[in-house]
Amino acid sequence: MDLSNFFSIMRGEIVLAAIILILLLAEIATKDKKKIVDLAIGLFLIHTIFGFFGVGEGVLFGGMFKASPIVNLFKNILNVGVLIILFQSASWVKGKLEEHNRVSEFYILLFASLLGMYYMISAGDFLMFYIGIEMASLPVAGLAAFDIYQKRSAEAALKYIFLAAITSGISLLGISFLYSASGTIFFDELKPFMTNDSLITLGFLFFLVGLLFKISIVPFHLWTADVYEGAPIGVTSYLSVISKGAAAFILIIILFTMAKPIMELWREVIYMLSILTMFIGNIFALRQKNMKRFLAFSSIAQAGFIILGMLSGTQLGMSAVVFFIATYIFSNLGAFGVVYAIANQSGKENMDDYNGFYRTNPLLSVLMMLALFSLAGIPPVAGFFGKFFLFMSAASAGYYWLILFAVINVTISLYYYLLVVRAMFVRQNDNPIPAFKSDVYMKIGLILPAIGIFVLGLYSPIYEHINELVGMFLK
Amino acid sequence: MGAQIMFYILATVIVVFSFLAVTSRKVMRATVYLLFVLLATAGLYFIIDYNFMAGIQLIVYAGGIVALIVFAVMLTEKIGDKIESPSNMQMILAGLISIAGAGVTISVLLGHDFKQSTQNIGQNVATIGENLLNYGKDGYVLPFEVVSILLLASMIAAIVVAKRKFEN
Repeated sequence: MDLSNFFSIMRGEIVLAAIILILLLAEIATKDKKKIVDLAIGLFLIHTIFGFFGVGEGVLFGGMFKASPIVNLFKNILNVGVLIILFQSASWVKGKLEEHNRVSEFYILLFASLLGMYYMISAGDFLMFYIGIEMASLPVAGLAAFDIYQKRSAEAALKYIFLAAITSGISLLGISFLYSASGTIFFDELKPFMTNDSLITLGFLFFLVGLLFKISIVPFHLWTADVYEGAPIGVTSYLSVISKGAAAFILIIILFTMAKPIMELWREVIYMLSILTMFIGNIFALRQKNMKRFLAFSSIAQAGFIILGMLSGTQLGMSAVVFFIATYIFSNLGAFGVVYAIANQSGKENMDDYNGFYRTNPLLSVLMMLALFSLAGIPPVAGFFGKFFLFMSAASAGYYWLILFAVINVTISLYYYLLVVRAMFVRQNDNPIPAFKSDVYMKIGLILPAIGIFVLGLYSPIYEHINELVGMFLK
Repeated sequence: MGAQIMFYILATVIVVFSFLAVTSRKVMRATVYLLFVLLATAGLYFIIDYNFMAGIQLIVYAGGIVALIVFAVMLTEKIGDKIESPSNMQMILAGLISIAGAGVTISVLLGHDFKQSTQNIGQNVATIGENLLNYGKDGYVLPFEVVSILLLASMIAAIVVAKRKFEN
């Protein structure tokens, strides 16, 4: 193995692991724990920027680790999302320093989880995939319990870790079936064995459970609302955006390469689950009063749209899904950012508290409106094009009924997103949330998603770039 | 023939004690039942002459994990108490789903034409050690290193849960 080659292909992973070690040492070395926040954000900012330049492509460790331009793009999308979350959560971590006595731990766990996702989406065999998915979820359980003196935070962590353990157990059983039928765990070598054989079918379905749980597809969605509500908001947005995005990335890689021969099988499964997920997520979202629960159910419904795009199995479908996930990350982080800023200042999380918010905090209200419009898919913001490409790919494969259902769901979702907008802009309130100013980090964390929402919506070369990389990958 | 008889004895032990472990209403007893399951599994590895794996199974699972569970159980309050029984409705539904799931899985497994493995699984420890440090096709150095980061992260997550408040 050529060493320079190794450093070029696996640079992102090595740098992130190094950042984790630096933070561990910083915790020992410094007395002023607030400096660790700046250090972590600074290091990760550099890591994110350099991620866009010159990361190599190729295969390492006999096929266990694969890097291609599209996989590197996936990692960059996740990096940007995590960076926004870091900016948004900085003041929370600093503000709760006395209460928590945990600063570097927050960043180490977050980065360790992200490192797991890197290995998961770069995996060339089931061993690395499984280690990656475990590494992506275990630290998050620790993060969900970060507010350990609040009962609901501890409860969220327990629920998450139990259900994650059960689903990854089922997933592992499925992998063992695939192995016993084929004698290999490498994706490439498994491909010729993917037939309608019943053991392969059962194994593959079991295997899917673990990933569908992470994307919170109905019927594996029950943990979402409770965990999202109980966990600290930064962790919630991490779960709903980064964790979901990474799982969707590896799902689409596996479906479009290894499982391509049994497309007829997974198409039916994904078709049914997509409809179920959209309807159940949306119908439950209608009734929510707590903003975190509300965004949790809306993110379940969005997950239904994500898997809808995978149905076509073509280059168009994969590009549409990748683009949609990118827009979803920015839109959802915009919405979560505003909820975060409000909760930081006033501790309020309910939709009724937002009444009359526009009069006191116009800028935040406008950002929230933008993010919600993007989630709903109103032009010209990014979410519209995300949904448009998704529907186009489904139409190209002839799924007209599904598109009809999806459009019904878009309408339902528009209704409840507008409920929030109405609360902020139209409703009167005798004592609205007072005007407040956020610190610099929070401001950056709110501006970045706003820029993302506009740029992805108005600057078309980004989609073409994604399409080109996907084309190279699928060839 | 002898191996076959041993297999059936061990398999019976595994099935019976697995069932007892999940149905027992006392935590401590469930742990002990689990210990028997793990020991019998090690026996299966011995039958197929995979001594290294059997050793690992005994040391890590039967020795380490069970001891850890026992400690955790001892530290929790009210270990003697019975866990509440689920309602009848829950029992029936869960039972039906389990039977259906097991039925599908077993019928698929019985219907599959398994091929006998040609790989030499009775490898000695030296080859296994070499594979752990090998970065080629059959090497496991990458998973080995990544798991070490996973363990580090798990320890830190445990610290997050256990750490006290800030004191000057």
